[in-house]
Amino acid sequence: MTLARFAAGRALSGVIFALVVASLSLLLAHAMADDVDDDPLAAPESRAARRAELGLDRPFLETYARWLAGLVRLDLGQSTRFRRPVRDLLGERAINTTLLAVCALLVATGLGLPLGRLSAVDPHGAGRAVRAASLAVLSVPPLIGALALVLIAARTGWLPTGGMTSREGLTGAAWAADVLRHLPLPVLALALPMAATIERLQARALLDAIGRPFVAASRARGLDADAAARVHAWPVSLAPVIGTYGVLVGALFSGSFIVEIVTAWPGLGRLMFDALGARDTWLVAGCGAAGAVALAIGTTAADVVHAAVDPRVLEAQR
Amino acid sequence: MNRHSRFPLVALIVVALLGYLWWITPSAIPPRPATALARGGTLTGALRAEPRSFNRLASRDLSTEVVTLLTQGKLVRVNRATQELEPWLAERWTSSPDGLVHTLTLRDGLQWSDGAPFTSADAAFTIAAVFDPNTKSVLASSLEVDGAPIGVTTPDARTVVVTFPRPFGPGIRLLDNVVILPKHRLESAVAAGTLSQAWGPTTPPAELVGMGPFVLASYEPGQRITFARNPRYWRRDDTGQPLPYLDRLVLEIVPDQNGELLALQSGRIDITQQQLRADDYAAAREMERAGGLRVQEVGVSPDPDVFFFNQRQTVWAKDPRGSWMATETFRKALNHAIDREAYANTVFLGAAVPVHGPVSPGNKKWFWPDLPRYAFDREKASALLTELGLANRDADAFLEDAGGREARFTMLIFKGNTGLERGAQVLKESWERIGVAVDIVPLETGALVERMLGGAFDAIFFNYVATDPDPAMQRDFWLSSGSAHIWNIGQKTPATAWEREMDDLVARQAAAVDPAERVRLFRDVQRVFSEHLPALYFAAPRLFVAVGPRVRNETPGVTRPQLLWSADTLAVVGDAPAR
Repeated sequence: MTLARFAAGRALSGVIFALVVASLSLLLAHAMADDVDDDPLAAPESRAARRAELGLDRPFLETYARWLAGLVRLDLGQSTRFRRPVRDLLGERAINTTLLAVCALLVATGLGLPLGRLSAVDPHGAGRAVRAASLAVLSVPPLIGALALVLIAARTGWLPTGGMTSREGLTGAAWAADVLRHLPLPVLALALPMAATIERLQARALLDAIGRPFVAASRARGLDADAAARVHAWPVSLAPVIGTYGVLVGALFSGSFIVEIVTAWPGLGRLMFDALGARDTWLVAGCGAAGAVALAIGTTAADVVHAAVDPRVLEAQR
Repeated sequence: MNRHSRFPLVALIVVALLGYLWWITPSAIPPRPATALARGGTLTGALRAEPRSFNRLASRDLSTEVVTLLTQGKLVRVNRATQELEPWLAERWTSSPDGLVHTLTLRDGLQWSDGAPFTSADAAFTIAAVFDPNTKSVLASSLEVDGAPIGVTTPDARTVVVTFPRPFGPGIRLLDNVVILPKHRLESAVAAGTLSQAWGPTTPPAELVGMGPFVLASYEPGQRITFARNPRYWRRDDTGQPLPYLDRLVLEIVPDQNGELLALQSGRIDITQQQLRADDYAAAREMERAGGLRVQEVGVSPDPDVFFFNQRQTVWAKDPRGSWMATETFRKALNHAIDREAYANTVFLGAAVPVHGPVSPGNKKWFWPDLPRYAFDREKASALLTELGLANRDADAFLEDAGGREARFTMLIFKGNTGLERGAQVLKESWERIGVAVDIVPLETGALVERMLGGAFDAIFFNYVATDPDPAMQRDFWLSSGSAHIWNIGQKTPATAWEREMDDLVARQAAAVDPAERVRLFRDVQRVFSEHLPALYFAAPRLFVAVGPRVRNETPGVTRPQLLWSADTLAVVGDAPAR
């Protein structure tokens, strides 16, 4: 199988996956009683009228068919909570979550891979401290980790305690600089647990690779331990780590849910939280779809990169 | 271990030590300077959620209410600190002796924020828009008297005559419910039947015109709403200085209450959306000692948490537990089993006062201190349960009825509300001590309300927020036909003789125009309520608000929004810290 064909297959699976997840989101959202009226004690007639106006009084299959038809036109319905088209809301927030997720992934990779390598090559020295730190970070739930970082920011004043910008009306370079000041807090909250995961995986994979015969052979040819690990074992150890990135991308989006709320980052996670709280059917389905698409893209990209660096993946498909 | 491998560990320890040293050093907060109130500056507050609309006629969520309080004006308003009615866009009014006709005189020379003159036609336009069937305004029922709309005529540009279909005790107090909209801007939307969609969150700020102290400058979804001073605002302070004091007011969207308190601590915001949670008092006091903020007690909440059983007879007709669970005796037994002092100490960490009915001391005008009380007496509670035929017929700690069914019910509560969760646990433990088992089920708000509206519950413990302290403005709660008569909503005819009596008293109280008569009648309402106990109340929390060190001249009230209800008199000193 060629890499291109493999990528096309994964992309098709991704599309099917996104469609199934989005459909299930709609099914769950439709099953919930939607808060179409902001007055919980509003008269039943008023609630019924508003439901009819939004097309929420129809049977699920009819609603689903209408939603699928809308999906083709990129019309995802109207949010009852925000009284705006779901497509517009998703567009605004998806870019913010993507920025956060990409930065978190880069930071996690930048920290996790070298620390994992350090942990493997010096298991009794620095590796011990790194391992302890990783386990500590992994054992902290995302909510507590995010709150702890906000607390540190509040006490020191080193970083903004939340939000994406400090004030309104910023444009161009000033806006970018301000966003950069606000990024570290949510990025660290998301990236630290992921970096710890990568560190653990990398250390284990590298230790495994170091123990294999081709590394012993390179040592027998006169290469020192550091060089053998760096030149021969490390590239081989990357393959299983890259293979887990699909899962990590999923964790990234689920983690952003709570981090965005605590750090007031205006992304998809927060939008989903608002949508669920308000039982906003179309918006829940839209957020589900957007999350599924992002996850499908992330996992597809991770699989393709994995296949590119590890030919055994393509061979296994034959 | 070689020297290189030890380095990261040493570095880690050094960093940890530095972190600890920094941690125990309080932030350097400048002392509060003694500066006179001056115009200028930016105050930053927080909103927990984004507004659904900028149109108060279309939405009643708290964020929409806050935005419209800042940008729009009312003819008269209820002062949230004193709970009294005071002139606003109308400078005075007279009422006919029968309470049916109220003549309001508008202030002279008022202008909308776009410079257009404000006249009585705007008031008449707004009231008509509220009742326009195409608008389907959420405010319509709040401007009705016994289901009939109020009428408005405008003999001249400065006079608004409001006619009530029947005498109504609170009089024009009900006009506090509605902000006046600009006829010259929204007339076409009303004509097209699209007013409910007008002024949505995507409307350009320049199109929003108001009579409030501020105008909308920008709205960044998910981030913040920024307001600028309305240069045509009518109000001045005692020294003749034009209000508002602030140049700008920014409301950051901070969805998490923990994050909100930390933002206050860091100086990112100057005020919070509402009162502190009981769990946050200690932390806030600590921050106050370090000089980072000021904590003020506002008063007792007018809205104590409420516990009630489902009292729909149709539900209990099919459930044999109804023979004891749906009785007054059972409710009285449970009421006697609660030590309210201990409840206040446990649930609100001491910052609460015991209450025995729905009207707390926070409702200054209508609280009745001599309301009959149910003393904490477990023996009496047990005796009442025995009267109902409940006895322990097996080896466990709970009672059973004659049919062997355990004295057990399910209590629904709002999920995520720590105060309610703690309160529910105290109730459960108290009632289990007299042999009644309780299963607590936390639900999302929407799901709980759906169960309540559908009558699918045993008991509910939640927080019901009244819109106005005047009982005649809460008839939806008191009347058996009311949509907020929570224990048995929307009855066609009163299900019980005492509800019929209460309906009669509430109707007479609402129609009475003599203040003393209104007080006497409402005490009778409370007496009937206490005798039959359709709902149980235990404690009302003392409310505290926290403000940053730059804030001046705040006048917090006990109802939401505690600080922003009077935003035109809020002031700041000094520059905001870099955020």
